[in-house]
Amino acid sequence: MSEGLTSQEGRLEPRPEGAPEPVRLRRTLPKITDRFAAAGAVLIALVLLATILAPWLAPYPVDRLAPVDALLPPSGAHWFGTDKVGRDVLTRVLYGGQTSLTIAVAVLAVSAVVGVTLGVVAGYAGGWVRDVIMRVTDVFLAFPALLLSLALAVVLQPSVTTAIVAIAATWWPWYARLSASVAASISTRAYVDAARCLGVPAPMIVLRHVLPNSLTPVLVQISLDAGGVILTAAALSYLGLGAQEPTAEWGLMVEQGQTLFTTNWWVVTFPGLAILMTAFAFNVLGEGLRNALDPRRVVK
Amino acid sequence: MTMLRAEGVTLGYGRTPVVHDVTLDLTDGGVGLIGESGSGKTTLARAFLGLLAPMSGNIWYGQKTLKKADMRAFRRDVQPVFQAEALDPRMRVGASIAEALPRNARHRVPELLDQVGLSPDLATRRPHQLSGGQRQRVVIARALAVGPRLLILDEPTSALDVTVQARILDLLAGLDTEHLLITHNLAVVGRLCRTSHVLFAGRVVESGPTAEILARPAHPYTLALRDAVPKLGGEPPVARGRTEARPAETGCAFRLRCPLAVKGCETAPALREVEGRQVACHRAEDVLG
Amino acid sequence: MIEVRDLQVRYGERVVASVPELDVRAGECVAIVGESGSGKSTTLLSLLGLTEGAHVSGSIRVCGVEVLQAPERRLREIRGARVALVMQSPQAALSPTTRLGTLMRRALKLHGRGGEQGAGPEPERGTGRKARQGKVRRIMVDAVEAVMLDPGILRRYPHEISGGQAQRFAIALAIALGAEVILADEPTSALDVTVQAEVVGVLRRLRAERGLALLLVSHDLALVSTIADRVLVMKDGAVVEGGPAAEVLAEPSHPYTRELLEALP
Repeated sequence: MSEGLTSQEGRLEPRPEGAPEPVRLRRTLPKITDRFAAAGAVLIALVLLATILAPWLAPYPVDRLAPVDALLPPSGAHWFGTDKVGRDVLTRVLYGGQTSLTIAVAVLAVSAVVGVTLGVVAGYAGGWVRDVIMRVTDVFLAFPALLLSLALAVVLQPSVTTAIVAIAATWWPWYARLSASVAASISTRAYVDAARCLGVPAPMIVLRHVLPNSLTPVLVQISLDAGGVILTAAALSYLGLGAQEPTAEWGLMVEQGQTLFTTNWWVVTFPGLAILMTAFAFNVLGEGLRNALDPRRVVK
Repeated sequence: MTMLRAEGVTLGYGRTPVVHDVTLDLTDGGVGLIGESGSGKTTLARAFLGLLAPMSGNIWYGQKTLKKADMRAFRRDVQPVFQAEALDPRMRVGASIAEALPRNARHRVPELLDQVGLSPDLATRRPHQLSGGQRQRVVIARALAVGPRLLILDEPTSALDVTVQARILDLLAGLDTEHLLITHNLAVVGRLCRTSHVLFAGRVVESGPTAEILARPAHPYTLALRDAVPKLGGEPPVARGRTEARPAETGCAFRLRCPLAVKGCETAPALREVEGRQVACHRAEDVLG
Repeated sequence: MIEVRDLQVRYGERVVASVPELDVRAGECVAIVGESGSGKSTTLLSLLGLTEGAHVSGSIRVCGVEVLQAPERRLREIRGARVALVMQSPQAALSPTTRLGTLMRRALKLHGRGGEQGAGPEPERGTGRKARQGKVRRIMVDAVEAVMLDPGILRRYPHEISGGQAQRFAIALAIALGAEVILADEPTSALDVTVQAEVVGVLRRLRAERGLALLLVSHDLALVSTIADRVLVMKDGAVVEGGPAAEVLAEPSHPYTRELLEALP
């Protein structure tokens, strides 16, 4: 009963010593937030499954052109209608997910690995190491994604890979900054000092204590960013720097369809909804993760 | 024998010193470092733990300075017991203790938990599943894991309920290690430390046998501290001097708060021997009365 | 000033505080002593109807108001004005961008002190306002000086003052608003001992000079023994012992009180 008392008093107070420990701590309340995270995860799994299974699910071949069937509204034959050159929009949304999600996952994975590694090292080491890493980060932040992609496009062929490299190059600094500030604050905690006093080598301290305790905000940020990456990729495609016709990609489809919105709404609406739903799913997951990953969340 | 000794140590973060030219020996029988917030006591503790390099002066570990000493031996000899957040919130208690043990000695975790009066079953818990007193015992168990000769105790009980605090103090008093106790709590010092040093604004203002310092303070600040502590059934605590006055930049740092300050206090007093203790006050004799 | 009978605070099935009897008269200091989880803070908050989500039963009379039956509006009149709550860290409750003087003036206006209750016709424009402003200023300076602060503090921002000054300012605010009762929840446990002594000194003087009633919640028996007339010892939500401070502390009848006393270092 003393457990309950403490939370009612609005403070986290320790149970009196020797008080019986509740055996199962994670019950009703966390389950709700876990469910929130789970809902996001399920939604994302659905999107993933649909795009992976596109070759089997799609009613038409992805690049089947049928100029006669151009701009047909949704019907039994074409659930999502057809586009300017008569391609089935449903088919292209399913296949487009492959490209868009690949870009999102690749960009976020690369950015997170690079950003968090540099950030945590900077945050823990402090001093000149931090200064050097943060100045490099600032340089990258100074370049807009589009400008960097233009430069890259001169060197490389415009393609999905170019888009990934370009977006990742401008995306990681945010994670570096975030994780550097979190890691710097974690590094002042007594348990980090205690580990240093035990003679634990610095790389181990970073891996064992600083990194795991710094990760939550980054993970949350990553899941919140997924939608943004897809949209940035779309913008690059629009400028001819990312995915190229005839590759199906959500962003590309939205950009191509938006001029038709007033007359043929379905061309832009369905890929747009796909982006929206995916971004939303990642957001829900992010929110859920934020709660689920907090080791000290109040448990009643 | 003195294992650790600070000699003319000035400490700070960045360029601003917060501890000025402190010389003190961690002698046997328990050493207390008494100070209020901003006195620099935790900074000094970090220096004794080798976590903060002095801006000037040296920390001596036996015959060598910490800069040149064998740090592996030092880490085995000297361990901290911090108050808050001393355990990684993500790690199970057993793993936290095991971190202090060599790979082939991990089986000692239950034994160490037992030594600090905890059930070995707690090893699978995470810190937030323990009470404050239990957490503090785990922290002590981990410090003991390496077999240290000296513990640096930084406010080890100040966030605990009094009954829990009493039991933790019993535990600490029963250990066969030497200790430096850092605290703002005079009563706790009396219990665990034969010698005490009073710190004000980063300077030692009075040092000597704990019992004598507390019975008859020679520095006005020690006197103010002592009289401010409420005593059971005693007179209400007395506030001496104005606590909001900042430490003076020049001369005696305490002079702006000191009810006895005179013109002469504008020159900084050096530590000097007065009636069996070291005190940095021009008017020590008047304080002793 | 405070009269509590058969108070019980429950969250769901759990009784977190149960106090059969608690009286605080004007000029008196009563202390509730206990460790974390004892229900002492809950008891204090229930006196102002601030225990949200709890079932409170029994009878609570504070300054003549039946707290459990009074409408929210009536409670708001008491809170802050006649009964002041002083918490452990008042600085957190002060808006960082507002000068302390501005803050105090607003609080006075809100509770209609130092003027003709805010609204209403102004008989003599100009001079009337000036006189009123002078009066407000006097109330503020008096209150600040009563807690031994320099009136210059009214020009400061909350981050420019120390914890002890903030705590005394919180008390000054209560004085300015004409509080008759101060409810203090661990008012000094975040402070250095020398600063604590100062705050305690201020509370004692206000009690003696202005007849303030003081209900103090604390874990520190030694501190309580020096200022309280009567003591209530709580453990796990229940009052285990109560009576005149000197008696309870000299001859504790409950084993838990003895344990608390023995635990004092």
